[in-house]
Amino acid sequence: MAMDYAKCASDIFSHLGGKDNIISAAHCATRLRLVIADNSKIDKAALEEVDGVKGMFESNGQLQLIIGTGTVNKVYDEFLKITGLTEASKEDVKKAAASQAPLWKRILKVPGDVFVPILPAIVAAGLMMGLVEALGKAIPGFASTDWYGFLDMVSNAAFAFLPVLVAISTARVFGGNIFLGAVVGLCMIHTGLLNAWNVANPDAINSFFGVTDGVIPTWHLLFFKVQRVGYQGHVIPVILAVALMCVIEKWLHKHVPEMLDLFITPLCTVLSTVFITFTIIGPIFSMFENAVLAGAQVLITVGFGIGSAVMGAIYPLTVVMGLHHMYNVIEAGMLSGELGKNIWMPIASSANFAQFGACLAVAIKAKNAKTKSVALPSSLSASLGITEPAIFGVNFRFMKPFVCGMIGGAIGAWFGALSKIGATTYGVTGIPGLLAIDNIPLYAIMLLIAAGIAFVLTWITWKEDEPKKKAAPKADAPKAPEKAVITCEAGTIMQPAIGKVIPQDQIPDETFAAGILGEGIGVEPTEGIVFAPFDGVVSSVADSKHAIGITGPGEMELLIHVGVDTVAMNGEGFEPLVAEGDEVKAGQVIMHFDRDAIAAANHPDTVVVLLTNSDDYENVKITTD
Amino acid sequence: MKTFEYIIKDEVGIHARPAGILAKEVKKYASKITITNEAGKAAEAKKLMAVMGLGVKCGQKVVVTIEGDDEETVAPIIEKFFEDNF
Repeated sequence: MAMDYAKCASDIFSHLGGKDNIISAAHCATRLRLVIADNSKIDKAALEEVDGVKGMFESNGQLQLIIGTGTVNKVYDEFLKITGLTEASKEDVKKAAASQAPLWKRILKVPGDVFVPILPAIVAAGLMMGLVEALGKAIPGFASTDWYGFLDMVSNAAFAFLPVLVAISTARVFGGNIFLGAVVGLCMIHTGLLNAWNVANPDAINSFFGVTDGVIPTWHLLFFKVQRVGYQGHVIPVILAVALMCVIEKWLHKHVPEMLDLFITPLCTVLSTVFITFTIIGPIFSMFENAVLAGAQVLITVGFGIGSAVMGAIYPLTVVMGLHHMYNVIEAGMLSGELGKNIWMPIASSANFAQFGACLAVAIKAKNAKTKSVALPSSLSASLGITEPAIFGVNFRFMKPFVCGMIGGAIGAWFGALSKIGATTYGVTGIPGLLAIDNIPLYAIMLLIAAGIAFVLTWITWKEDEPKKKAAPKADAPKAPEKAVITCEAGTIMQPAIGKVIPQDQIPDETFAAGILGEGIGVEPTEGIVFAPFDGVVSSVADSKHAIGITGPGEMELLIHVGVDTVAMNGEGFEPLVAEGDEVKAGQVIMHFDRDAIAAANHPDTVVVLLTNSDDYENVKITTD
Repeated sequence: MKTFEYIIKDEVGIHARPAGILAKEVKKYASKITITNEAGKAAEAKKLMAVMGLGVKCGQKVVVTIEGDDEETVAPIIEKFFEDNF
């Protein structure tokens, strides 16, 4: 029988001495963790008897109730409902802050959030793909070599299957199961569907479906007609599909009985998501795509290059929407039509190259190492015509570079149209486009105009988000407490961990408490960080990683021992950041430790700070809270 | 100079706490007492940090050297101490 979470939560609540007595509530994998104002008001015996509570103990100011994996979160949700408390995790503070932004801002933020984690997969691949393809065009015969085939495969894999990466990342952003997200993404580019890049290629359609009329077959599902075309090159429909999936999944998790959850929820989630995607999201998108396509074709005929300029401006937007793969249709049509040359390509090239210029400006101007390291290869890849990393990873995220790129693209495209240049093939833009254009100097000037304008505008208007960056480390990286805990004639020992300083005799360990290892204090940590307590040299780091010895001024030998009996954890949950012989400065972070891991191993996490040679000094003074 | 060999039986090896107890003990005597681990690294027994730095584990052998005026009397005491504590 499924547990009654609401009853469990309300039973727990009834023994806690009222709502005002609960300061905060959180949970980990198995436990409900409560911070209680006055422990004397709670009925511990009764708490242990509550149905669903498998155990209880107190640790570093928290009352921890063991409830169990998979159920604790549900009890926790109920508990929040009853108490009216809110989750106070960092994530939620962030979310709360984000939810105050206007809706359109939050929506625009989604593609960036989705793309940032994918960047490692696509930035380098994009650059390599651009290079390989450029070499294939530049060196006669290279395109037919084995190396070309191999390199092309490796570098374009991330792009060929981009919807899967996008799906996984989206599932993570929206809190769904990433594997189900991956399945949805995989469905959208399933090998049983025609590759979206081939929709305008009758030969490919004929050979793929075994038909002769070049028409893509459809499935009849209920009253929907589904064209059997994949979503290669798409981003927005994938994000929409997986976002929808997350909503469905969460709803089902709540409403499906626990016993059937593992079977019913994934099945219904994937089935309904993919169905809705192919019957509703997809068709709406292809309607939209066709409208854009038709509109684009009309647009570029507008005189004096104005239509082309407009197209150059909105081109990157269509890349964001994932519509750009449709343009092959236009390009192929131009080549085979009366014009005989591809005048679409200069527009696309201007637009792409302008994004390169904007991204390059960010790469050069950015001080943040991470931004720089993403922007530089992304811009190079954009210069070769692969703009996704630059657009999603950089320009669109910061928005201003994106807009500057649109302006540069518009002016470049305008110049391209007026100079009447055209390409002899399709599918290449940027620098490789030099090989496909009928007038190389004019094309080069066009690229320079597009990129130059975008670069200069970005350089002038875009500023790195300084205050945000300054605030972030403050919130995320707590500073060392500026308080001396032990002083003697040799020097001062600062408090090495954040939390309440307790006298030595209250350290929950006889040996430490009795002062056999020297005089000292304990800190009941609230953060899993150890700071260097003075300028000194690391004299030892325990193999089990939980203790660090430091020799300080006047030969002070200090032992910082995290937790009690934590040697038994064999280093799990401890991450010393220094090694024997390292010099450290007061306040420097020397170790991270995982308080949850220590609690899970049933040890107190008191940070024991002992001056092991306190006998050598006469005036040892201890300060506690 | 007196020496003896000892194989550590304590599960956690010579860790902070046992090392501390040892440091306390040896400070009572005039002799210089050194512990050498299997790798040949030596540490003065009264220096807690140095002893911990040896990283001696359960089942490993240490060589203990006692050198000084009271070595004759101290050696058996220290040997006994190792047997009791490690």
